[in-house]
Amino acid sequence: MSVGFIGAGQLAHALVKGFTAAGVIATHRITASSPDTDLPTVIGLRKMGAYFTTSNKETVNKSDVLFLAVKPHIIPFVLDEIGPDIEDRHLIVSCAAGVTISSIEKKLLQYRPAPKVIRCMTNTPVVVREGATVYATGSHAEVEDGKLLEQLMGSVGYCTEVEEDLIDAVTGLSGSGPAYAFLAVDALADGGVKMGLPRRLAVRLGAQALLGAAKMLLESEQHPGQLKDNVASPGGATIHALHVMESGGFRSLLINAVEASCIRTRELQHLADQEKISPAAIKKTTLDKVLQQPGATAAGVGVRTGLNLFNSSTSKHKKN
Amino acid sequence: MSVGFIGAGQLAHALVKGFTAAGVIAANRITASSPDTDLPTVSGLQKMGVNFTTSNKEATHKSDVLFLAVKPHIIPFVLDEIGPDIEDRHLIVSCAAGVTISSIEKKLLQYRAAPKVMRCMTNTPVVVREGATVYATGSHAEVEDGKLLEQLMASVGFCTEVEEDLIDAVTGLSGSGPAYAFTALDALADGGVKMGLPRRLAVRLGAQALLGAAKMLLDSEQHPGQLKDNVCSPGGATIHALHFLESGGFRSLLINAVEASCIRTRELQFLADQEKISPAAIKKTTLDKVLQQPGVSSTSDATKSSVNLFNNRTGVKNWWLWRERGRWALVLTVRLNRSESSGQLPPVDHSSSVNNRSTSDEGQGSFT
Repeated sequence: MSVGFIGAGQLAHALVKGFTAAGVIATHRITASSPDTDLPTVIGLRKMGAYFTTSNKETVNKSDVLFLAVKPHIIPFVLDEIGPDIEDRHLIVSCAAGVTISSIEKKLLQYRPAPKVIRCMTNTPVVVREGATVYATGSHAEVEDGKLLEQLMGSVGYCTEVEEDLIDAVTGLSGSGPAYAFLAVDALADGGVKMGLPRRLAVRLGAQALLGAAKMLLESEQHPGQLKDNVASPGGATIHALHVMESGGFRSLLINAVEASCIRTRELQHLADQEKISPAAIKKTTLDKVLQQPGATAAGVGVRTGLNLFNSSTSKHKKN
Repeated sequence: MSVGFIGAGQLAHALVKGFTAAGVIAANRITASSPDTDLPTVSGLQKMGVNFTTSNKEATHKSDVLFLAVKPHIIPFVLDEIGPDIEDRHLIVSCAAGVTISSIEKKLLQYRAAPKVMRCMTNTPVVVREGATVYATGSHAEVEDGKLLEQLMASVGFCTEVEEDLIDAVTGLSGSGPAYAFTALDALADGGVKMGLPRRLAVRLGAQALLGAAKMLLDSEQHPGQLKDNVCSPGGATIHALHFLESGGFRSLLINAVEASCIRTRELQFLADQEKISPAAIKKTTLDKVLQQPGVSSTSDATKSSVNLFNNRTGVKNWWLWRERGRWALVLTVRLNRSESSGQLPPVDHSSSVNNRSTSDEGQGSFT
């Protein structure tokens, strides 16, 4: 089995690093492509032994499982480009936040009668094999396809299947979650330094405390509140600390964060589904690079006026 | 090498579970003692194959490394009880929050010329072998003793030596830290549930996200701020979420928490060091139970005026004060007649304080 990545940025790099560390696939069976060869992650991918190319078509031809690891607004271009090259064996796995299975299927149906599409939402800790991934399967994906993806993603962390309508909430929680944690460790370390600890030790202890607590929760049947109670002895230091956190509405801030991230994800999805975005929203440099690809024309990608994404009236451009 | 635990509560249980899972010591080379046989952790310890006894002296005899895993206010009694049985080989490791090495050495010097004492601060995730431990060495402990303890504690998580004056700050950060994380996880799960996720999945994903992020940080040379930047794509969901956190002073709350915990630890240590309190602060029921012990007289001066702790007058050998549920209580060790002395402390204190009402991250302290 071969795995390909359209896109060679942070996500592709993190997944390849995780997969190879897990030994679930050999690096020489991995291909990654991007028109941008300057990305630092490209060097990293090469160093790991993955095959890098500037041709998305080559990646498609070399893969069975194809991850779309590009930013959401690039997805339609990619689909138009690789659509003709998709075969029956291909399993398309989109990791793009807010891009629905139906929008991907709609595009691919122009080229194939039954494109196998899975949508997943993962997070950066796949790079240390402690990711959190959920996936939803499209109408043409078989049960075995889901199991195959679960095997891959399960090697780099937790992975489970969900209904597609939950994926935005998952984005808000575990997709953005690591950022909340990095913020928290930064602040905890500041607290430790304020009370006299050297910075390195404070960062280390803060991260270790979070890691240990999270692991305890994952391995315990108990409620987080019960575990918190167990740590807070009467009149002690911990309950004093918890009081100041509650006084400041600590819990509410985290609920707000999950909500804000989820809402923004839905917003972005809605904008994408609207099938019209202004050219200004497309990053010019990326567009330039895409237009450099053989066969891509400015007219083909609808650059002049409002773009119609996922619009099947776009002229199919022939590729060499 | 044999390891002993004075105390058979949450801390002893967590450490034994971690040590045996790590394979760093066999369960049958571990002894744990407590006068209270009803603790749920006692059956857990027995199930793991540990030798359990009600005799602290037996635990001392059977050990080379002896962990004091009792609440801080119990420490002086324990030291008085086992003091005569300490040998040159013994390494005493106190896990009690706020109890200084010098206070322990002072007590043990009555019995031995060069007691080897170490003080450590750990946390509950030792139970899943992801603890965070720091330790400081006393004046008579050798370099090898430190390395031995480090080997033991490193089998259940991160362990490093520090100067003793940093231990209170460590209590505030990684000692109490798991509680901050459990609170955060509860809230994150609430957020997920609000946005439509089933509860179990939300808890799972929240915990997994924290665990993964912490691991990334530990494995990376990068600054947490840099790692945060890497996760925030322009105009994306994550940066929107972070704005809410910053607006609410999220970081400040965590700094406050570490500070509050550290300050409280120092407060409790100061109270313990003071060694003098007023009789009005004495919990009557406890005093009654102690007075029931053979050899204790109610006419001792100590009940009349202010109490001198660690004072060898009358029939009362030592006084100690502790605070439970906001009230002060008096605890005594008594000088019994030889024939009556079994080395057992009046059980009243243990059963009311150690009874697993609450457990401490730092080491059984109702001080913590």
